[in-house]
Amino acid sequence: MGVETGIINDKDAARFLVPRRAFTDRGVFEAEYKAIFDNCWLYLGHASELPEPGSFLTRTVARRPVLFTRDKDGEYNALLNACPHRGALVCRERHGKSRAFMCMYHGWTFGSDGHLMTLPGSSGYPKGFKTDPQKQMVHVPRMERFGDFFFISFAKDGEDLATYLADAGDILNLLSEQSPQGMEIIGGTQEYAIRGNWKLLAENSFDGYHAACNHSTYLEYLGNTKGALGVDPLKGEAIDLGHGHAMVEYTAPWGRPVANWVPLWGEEGKKEIDGVYNELESRLGADRAQRIAKKSRNMVIFPNLVINDVMAVTVRTFFPTAPDYMEINAWAIAPVGESEWRRKFRLYNFTEFLGPGGFATPDDVEAIEKCQQGYAVGGDAQYNDISKGMAREGVPSFDDEAQMRAFWVEWDRRLSEYGA
Amino acid sequence: MTTSTMDRKLDDALLLRLRVEDLLYHEADLIDRWQLEEWFALFTEDAHYYVPPSDVDGDTADPETSLFYIVDDHVRLRERIVRLGKIGAHSEHPRSKLRHLVTNVRAHRDGDIIHSRASFIVSRAKDITHDLFVGHYLHELVERDGQLKIQKKTCVLDMEALRPHARISILL
Repeated sequence: MGVETGIINDKDAARFLVPRRAFTDRGVFEAEYKAIFDNCWLYLGHASELPEPGSFLTRTVARRPVLFTRDKDGEYNALLNACPHRGALVCRERHGKSRAFMCMYHGWTFGSDGHLMTLPGSSGYPKGFKTDPQKQMVHVPRMERFGDFFFISFAKDGEDLATYLADAGDILNLLSEQSPQGMEIIGGTQEYAIRGNWKLLAENSFDGYHAACNHSTYLEYLGNTKGALGVDPLKGEAIDLGHGHAMVEYTAPWGRPVANWVPLWGEEGKKEIDGVYNELESRLGADRAQRIAKKSRNMVIFPNLVINDVMAVTVRTFFPTAPDYMEINAWAIAPVGESEWRRKFRLYNFTEFLGPGGFATPDDVEAIEKCQQGYAVGGDAQYNDISKGMAREGVPSFDDEAQMRAFWVEWDRRLSEYGA
Repeated sequence: MTTSTMDRKLDDALLLRLRVEDLLYHEADLIDRWQLEEWFALFTEDAHYYVPPSDVDGDTADPETSLFYIVDDHVRLRERIVRLGKIGAHSEHPRSKLRHLVTNVRAHRDGDIIHSRASFIVSRAKDITHDLFVGHYLHELVERDGQLKIQKKTCVLDMEALRPHARISILL
């Protein structure tokens, strides 16, 4: 019994319409959890966030509290963060270092691989109780890594992560190749929420069409800031990466710490950026270096991992808690070992555009919230139009909507086929 | 210490606090009335305005090594105000209603710099939303031509996340 999504996808007539109840209906929301969030591979975290044995962090993934640890052997574990005794959260800290986790209720204590180490009052329990598999913390059914990116799935069976990622895997590799020493999450998380449906943020994250209107003040700001604009025009294409993943890849006038110089950074900066570029070229060849350094990429890995490699690089996930509400976590990721100068400019760049205090994200939030409010009109105004570029011959442009259609086709498939 | 020196020390401390309070209240009032050019004029030309995220120690975090919400130097702060004056700053069009409550002001002098700590609640109301930002200010103030000016303002949020706020499109 799949869900009737009501999407109209008529290639011949160049019509792609999404019914607005996809954003408002409680039944659709519940079906999404069953068909999508309980089945897909979901981003958990990055290896750099757990630098040594004993490191841990807690995170909510698809409404479930998860404890992500490295045990004493350095192995990574994704545990459901609930005590097998009465269900209390075992770890109540956001991150840290510990070799054991004690539940504050009755003192059951677990190793960072989830096994029950200490059972207070054990004489009250039968022999073998402590090693009973039911009395250990439960591992998330599946966890895999792709490079340094860790994903989990709440489904016991399904395709492996690399298969799931399809061509998006190569874009993750492209990001990891920015530095020979790999990448790391920079400390400090932007944690916010939007009063709108989660799919609006998926669309917005790689929407090349809205910038000119929605972000006019950001583009004017770049124009006002002497030397902030480089020579490259906003121009590029949309690319379907398979399995619902897609991206836009384009040139842009902003500076990129890897590695696109703008006059604002001065002659010293030019030397440094040239050095970064030359290292890329000698390690990876001219074509790959050019792509990494000069192209910006906004990618959505279905359903909810955004990696935007723009004037800085953000990793962003978001989960709905209701049809009209989502919680978002966003991080900055950067090359390990980059100079203090580049790190400083990267963070300065990041906050210029991205996040709740940036010159652009607040207006994205406004757009998403106003869409959600607009859906209340109901009646005959029941469809969103996602058809831009559908009739275009050749490669879809970055400001078309082919990348969103890739997302919606996969969303439609998963809901329609669920339980069928 | 004689009574008169003690009195003088107390007088100095009170006077300093009153001057700082005066500036902070003036600042809050200007933002609440959207007189942002006048607010901007309270800053020195090498000023910084920071808002760190909630999962780092906001009192000590460094914007050159941690991701913040806002990292404004004087140029970007000016541009922030220019932006807020435009119809294209959609998040603040129409403008939200603001109210800053500033309290628990403490100040001390350290060489040429006056450090102050103060508590704030900033209320933002706009159409269907009403959000509160709660935190504390860390100001670094300097004397310029007999006036106190802001050289650095850090707004540390005593919150776990910006939920449901989503944005700091206003000035804290």
